Amino acid sequence: MRIRACHLYPDLLNLYGDRGNLLVFCRRAQWRDIEVDVDQFLLGDRGDFNGYDFIFIGGGADSRRTLVLKNLEKIAPFIVDAVEEGTVLLAVGLGFQLLGRYIKAENGDVIAGAGVFDACTEMDSSRSVGDILLEGTADLQDELKKAGNIDITTLIGFENHSGRTYLGEQGKPLGRVIKGKGNNGEDGTEGACYKNAFGTFLHGPVLAKNPHFADLLLVKALSPQEEISLAPLDDSLEILAHNTMKKRLI
Amino acid sequence: MNKNSINKGFRFWLAFYAGRLTAFICRLFRLSGTSLPGAVALRICPQLLFYLAPAYEKVIAVTGTNGKTTTTNLISYFLRQAGVPVIGNGEGANMINGVVTALIKDCNFFGAAQSRTAVLEVDEGSVGKILPAVKPDLIVVTNYFRDQLDRYSELDHIIALLRKTIDHLPETELLLNADDPLAVAVGRGRTAVRYYGVAGERDCKELEENEIREGGFCPDCGELLTYDYYQYCQLGDYRCTKCSFKRPEPDFLALDVDDSDLLHFSLYLQNKNTGEQEPQKGNLDLHSQLRGFYNVYNILAASAAAMLIGVPQQIIERSLPDYSTATGRLEQFIYQGRPCTLGLIKNPIGVNEVIKTILPQEGKKAFLIAINDLAGDGKDVSWLWDADFEKLDQSMVSKVVCSGRRAAEIAVRLKYAGFTASKIVLEPGCRESLDVLGLQKADQYYILASYTSLFNYAKLLRKRGKAVAKNADQSLPSLS
Ligand SMILES: [Zn+2]
Repeated sequence: MRIRACHLYPDLLNLYGDRGNLLVFCRRAQWRDIEVDVDQFLLGDRGDFNGYDFIFIGGGADSRRTLVLKNLEKIAPFIVDAVEEGTVLLAVGLGFQLLGRYIKAENGDVIAGAGVFDACTEMDSSRSVGDILLEGTADLQDELKKAGNIDITTLIGFENHSGRTYLGEQGKPLGRVIKGKGNNGEDGTEGACYKNAFGTFLHGPVLAKNPHFADLLLVKALSPQEEISLAPLDDSLEILAHNTMKKRLI
Repeated sequence: MNKNSINKGFRFWLAFYAGRLTAFICRLFRLSGTSLPGAVALRICPQLLFYLAPAYEKVIAVTGTNGKTTTTNLISYFLRQAGVPVIGNGEGANMINGVVTALIKDCNFFGAAQSRTAVLEVDEGSVGKILPAVKPDLIVVTNYFRDQLDRYSELDHIIALLRKTIDHLPETELLLNADDPLAVAVGRGRTAVRYYGVAGERDCKELEENEIREGGFCPDCGELLTYDYYQYCQLGDYRCTKCSFKRPEPDFLALDVDDSDLLHFSLYLQNKNTGEQEPQKGNLDLHSQLRGFYNVYNILAASAAAMLIGVPQQIIERSLPDYSTATGRLEQFIYQGRPCTLGLIKNPIGVNEVIKTILPQEGKKAFLIAINDLAGDGKDVSWLWDADFEKLDQSMVSKVVCSGRRAAEIAVRLKYAGFTASKIVLEPGCRESLDVLGLQKADQYYILASYTSLFNYAKLLRKRGKAVAKNADQSLPSLS
């Protein structure tokens, strides 16, 4: 079996260990004899995302926003197409904000995002920083249960983002905040889901401390439609890391 | 004007003696006390630094991400070798409390400063509080790497803060790292700027795929910078293809670097008008006990700063070989009869450089990696995933003991770096982890610890083994 993955702007959006997400994704595939080819998509690259099973976009300093957006504009329709077709996508931090509907800058300028998620971000001086614990939404819990053999329904990570992100009417969150700020520190939501696309502010990297979530993405990337099951792995270290932090936060 | 003539009021003296008393109590109870006296005194008189600083004829401030402590200590060392009485906070207590503590301790009972020169390490986030008060004659900038971002959020903010601060210090001379576009951005539009840099091409290779490049963008127009070569990270010879921004020609240039073991390089003073080197001024032949390529920059910056404030070249050349490291910057011990190296790790660049330093050394190695997530360490430890643990040669590593509050996460990181489960041991406790390390059969031990656990390991190693670094600074830095 083989998965084709695409890493968007690895040189620009590479904050807080986010590239670790792809490492975790690839390793967990390889340990099950699944090959992953990773292509890098750089500034100035053009083209569609046909043939990719998994797209990853990470976080970055806010100063990178305009630089990335200039390019993202051109490829946004292709990303939206891919997600509509069922391609798996993980967007973290600034990557998540960029794939929303728009970002309103502190000076009032409104910049359009790629529009994958029904979410918009209003930049202000607020900053959400700290360890964060979520309970997956009922839908996510269902999917996690079907996909894997790790009996965890929470997600853990470190959030570090400025501004507030709000989901629109079509927007579904990834989970409910138990500890931490989440999308905006007001409504208790964190992240967003649409089809097989997931956005989140969880760094850590999120897939390292949440092996059940990593396996869910892997299952979906292998087969967006049918249910398949993965061979179990020894995840005692990952689960220990997850539970140690969880205990500290509850 | 006599700088000492500032009229110090009642509040000053109250604060001053409260600080002295706190320092005395700290000593009495054998607490390290590198920050607390200043904290107490500043509560009483927040302007204290404005009164204390004018007593010094010369003030040098060192700021940046990595290498501050080593550079600060080296400048102080050169000055002392030249017979100049120096005070500094060279113990890592680099926020305002630590600076005030150092200056209070430098005064005699009547409030008169004992030293003539102050060399201050200044935390990147504290430049706005400290620099306007101390009005440095010279500011040295080491580099700007990604470090503890939860505390400072972004490099751009740090650089903007320093630029804003020095706008009000027109007299201050800057000494900047020419190889770092982010450090060079600090001096845009100023005239009194000197640069230091390292001549390429160390490896003459393309940027390795996994190396981190943060800030390789033009500070003037935002374009991605083009590099002729890299030293490491965004350090190198860069230029902008859209505008005129490029690496400035260094006034102080390191050449012929040998970093295979103890460091050795030549320092050339360049005449920028002709672009020619000036051998008549003397090329310094520098030998150091320090290891690691990154220390070339620290030695270079410190030597340049010392020369700029009048230390004779011969003194630098002659005294450098006798200088060895302060606590935490790869300190050497003997533990269980084996050489044991203790190093501070706080960001991926530091880890990568330490790994590069360790790799060429022969023999089986056992590691202890201890990461805490307290305020002094940085609460976000996701940077572990930006460090190239993949580069550690598995066949040379017998065991890695994972310790500290984030022991499990180090273990996970190593697992995904390719370490087999049998090579990973989890032992969160400090003493216990050192016990486990001591059981490992290996030719060398390496302990890499984040800030808040580093000094516990140093203390334990002095007790259980012995320190081998000569001239080692025995004082224990504390958190500020
Ligand atoms: Zn430019």
